[in-house]
Amino acid sequence: MRLNMVRTIAVKELREALRDRRTLFIMVGIPILMYPLMLIGMSKLEESQEAAQKARVSRVAVWGDSTSTLLERLARNKDKLEPLVWEGVPADIREKLTKGLVKAPPPLPLALDDIDPEKRPKPNLEDPVVKAAQGVILNRQADAVLVLWPQFSANVQSGAAGTASIFYDSVRPESHKARDRVSDELRQWREDVRTSREQNQKLATGFILGVDIQTQDIAPPKRKSGMILGMILPYMLISFSVLGGFYAAIDMTAGEKERGTMQTLLCAPLESLEIITGKFLAVWGITIITTVINLISLATTFARIRFIPGMQMSISMSSLLLTFLLLLPITFMVTAVFLAVGAFAKDFKEGQSYLMPVFMVLIIPIFFTMSPGIELNRYLAFVPVVNISLLIRQIFLSEWKPDLLFLALLSAFCYASLTLVFAARVFERNNLLLGGKENIHGILDFSRRPGAKPTPGLSIFLFAASLVLLFYGSLALENRGIVALLLVTEFIFILGPALALSSSKGFNLAETFSLHRPGWRGMAAGLCIGVSAWTIAAGVLVRLLPPPESLIKALEKILLLEKDSAPIWQVVLLVAVGPALCEEMFFRGFIQSGFRRLGMWPAIVATGFLFGLMHSSIYRLMPTFFLGVMFGYAVWRTRSVLVGILCHALNNGLMIGLARSHDLAHKLGLGGAQFVPWHIVVAGALVLVVGLWLLRYENPVPAVSASRAA
Amino acid sequence: MTETLRTEALSKSFGSVHAAQSVSLTVQASEVVGLLGPNGAGKTTILRMVAGILAPDEGRVLLKGVNLEDYPLSTKRLIGFQSGDTQLYRRLTAREALVYFGRLYGMDEATLQARVEELIGLLEMKSFADQQCGTLSSGQKQRANIARAFLHRPELLVLDEPTAALDVISGQFIVETIRRERAAGRAILFSTHIMGEAEYLCDRIALLHQGRVVDYGRLDELLERSGCTNLTDAFLKNIGHTGRPGDVQ
Repeated sequence: MRLNMVRTIAVKELREALRDRRTLFIMVGIPILMYPLMLIGMSKLEESQEAAQKARVSRVAVWGDSTSTLLERLARNKDKLEPLVWEGVPADIREKLTKGLVKAPPPLPLALDDIDPEKRPKPNLEDPVVKAAQGVILNRQADAVLVLWPQFSANVQSGAAGTASIFYDSVRPESHKARDRVSDELRQWREDVRTSREQNQKLATGFILGVDIQTQDIAPPKRKSGMILGMILPYMLISFSVLGGFYAAIDMTAGEKERGTMQTLLCAPLESLEIITGKFLAVWGITIITTVINLISLATTFARIRFIPGMQMSISMSSLLLTFLLLLPITFMVTAVFLAVGAFAKDFKEGQSYLMPVFMVLIIPIFFTMSPGIELNRYLAFVPVVNISLLIRQIFLSEWKPDLLFLALLSAFCYASLTLVFAARVFERNNLLLGGKENIHGILDFSRRPGAKPTPGLSIFLFAASLVLLFYGSLALENRGIVALLLVTEFIFILGPALALSSSKGFNLAETFSLHRPGWRGMAAGLCIGVSAWTIAAGVLVRLLPPPESLIKALEKILLLEKDSAPIWQVVLLVAVGPALCEEMFFRGFIQSGFRRLGMWPAIVATGFLFGLMHSSIYRLMPTFFLGVMFGYAVWRTRSVLVGILCHALNNGLMIGLARSHDLAHKLGLGGAQFVPWHIVVAGALVLVVGLWLLRYENPVPAVSASRAA
Repeated sequence: MTETLRTEALSKSFGSVHAAQSVSLTVQASEVVGLLGPNGAGKTTILRMVAGILAPDEGRVLLKGVNLEDYPLSTKRLIGFQSGDTQLYRRLTAREALVYFGRLYGMDEATLQARVEELIGLLEMKSFADQQCGTLSSGQKQRANIARAFLHRPELLVLDEPTAALDVISGQFIVETIRRERAAGRAILFSTHIMGEAEYLCDRIALLHQGRVVDYGRLDELLERSGCTNLTDAFLKNIGHTGRPGDVQ
């Protein structure tokens, strides 16, 4: 793939897209207009409703015992509350209430009257008094009805409890307000009654109350605003951001077909990968610009609004940057999906009808994440779209964890890679790009081809698919013990897919997996690297990002097979030899073969990076990446995966030795030390240099020409 | 004469439709070979295979002796493809479109700029070179398209009904441009269903019917073999059609 060609295509596509008013409107117009319109509009509406309700006098019908002094109290605040005695009451109900022919409802369970209105028993809507009150409220004769049940005054005066019911309509804000006002007055009046009783009986203040229960919300305003932001923002940000690329993707695929420009591109001396990459970068670029404009518009909008009285909404720069980082893989994935699906459409209109359902399928899961009860965990961290949506919420709540962030980004990278590989396959089908038909089977095409070799796309596909399989598989095997977990994950989830894909495509196994016999120098180099590389990984790289204690314990648990008593041969086979065999065949075998055409260092670094990612922890990324690069270089120079297996097995074997033997750890100066001491690092580095020097005399595999590749 | 293009038994099917069946042709430098056939005869499919846009199911395309499938990038540089229904990017100006394609063909900036100016002058595009292609007339678009196909000085021009949907003046302009390119040493493979155009332009003609070459040779050879006095009659005779309505071949 020639980067200058990719850039030429991407720049041209961007230039064309930025001259399209429709794309410009979605990219710039929507974010600039929508956030202020939706958020400021909503908050202003809420504020004005609140103000209108405050200014309005609540009209409350009071039925029942009209002799109570409570009535005077209610009439005290004329600008807030207007008690309407017997307003709207049917004659029979008035008679029953006056003559005491109806009974007050039973008292509520302890404290529920104050604490949780939602948990209160529902009123019996068939009760004639309730029915009558309901009629008055629904007919807007009053905002609420206060019923003072028979014997209310008498009971209060005699030292018992009088029963008062407030009926209101929770759907109508003014009815809600009336309830609050009446309720407040009643509480204050009750407090007066309580105090006067204590004074009359010469009881201590608080005698009747007994315990003063105080509940206080400790969530700081930032957290409260974070919760609100976190519920609505993922949806808005993700949908508005990916929408930026929606029309551009259709325009660059179905639109090009419709206008007859696709074939001019196809007859140019370009690889299909260059075309899709150029178009992809252009659409992704537009999506990223849209995302940035969304975030800027959002930040400026939120600086000016209040959702909750007294609460200023604001978004910190770090939250914005992290959110932007999270939106990158999701926009990456959606862009690839849009381009791949758009290529199936014959014209722009068909493109819209294809992409709209895809857009909906991607967006709908975000609705579920709006529920406050759903939180990001290890299972959801690998669910596409949902993971990013939940993480954005955690960022606004300032409670994100680096490991889950890493996992979510890793999974997003996997899904994005899978979709991009699929999009690239679609763009290899010229017949489809010229308006012909192709089925999915033809596009995926896992058929054998003589002389075929793994490609970078196939390597990324294998890695991404295996990682998703490995992640969910290992979660399912969590309770089966470490032995089963190691055996199944290494041989079935790692080695299995590589062998299956290789044999299904008819690849030459010896070439694909570098199954050549190494010379003595290669083996000696492997020996040196295997015993020394860990010192740099554990002595230098771990210092840059020290792992938490929980991760160290978890790794020790694996190295010891959960207990110190496991036979050493079993531990070595399961933790050193097995993983070395499976992971080296997978990475330095298949994956590195696929990247071979990119040249030595790009292939080794890319393979090492994927090897680091496979360890699924941000703390292990750098050390395992370094080890992967070392092993990859050894395999590249010796053309033998056996050298990689030797390095890997020695590395893991040493870790087992250190975990099991406290003597060995003490002799190396590691007993109780947080990091590997510098003298060990220096000694290790010297041995490593010897290993690398020995590799210089090996004959590496020549890079395969891209134009001749299968 | 140098052989620029050779197709060997090219075949292509779309489902049950055989668009091209064992098509073998050669085009020499300074030669115009015409593919003549009715709609659906397979002209476009053959030209797309020659241009490397479609991969043949069977057979191969050799450009100056090099298999296009083996070395697509280097062989595609030898081809200039243009079709009657090919459009240019409507939101790019004609000049921008030419520069874009020049870069895709790997031309260096100085050569590219000079070549763009040369073609703008040669094809009389000055008045509309800086207008967006979406605003151009059909004739102007076709000139811009021809300029794009000629831009990188290809050795083989593959032209699919280049005069389709053009008025007489624009059509004649394109025909004369093709003649000029032949004189400059280009090999030209072009398709048409206009018999007069084929007679006027082509050194050799391949008569196509249902994806097969039913006759192939110089005009006088075709007429002699068919016993007809004009190309239209020779073509109809070859496909077993009398030209009367309802006559099924």
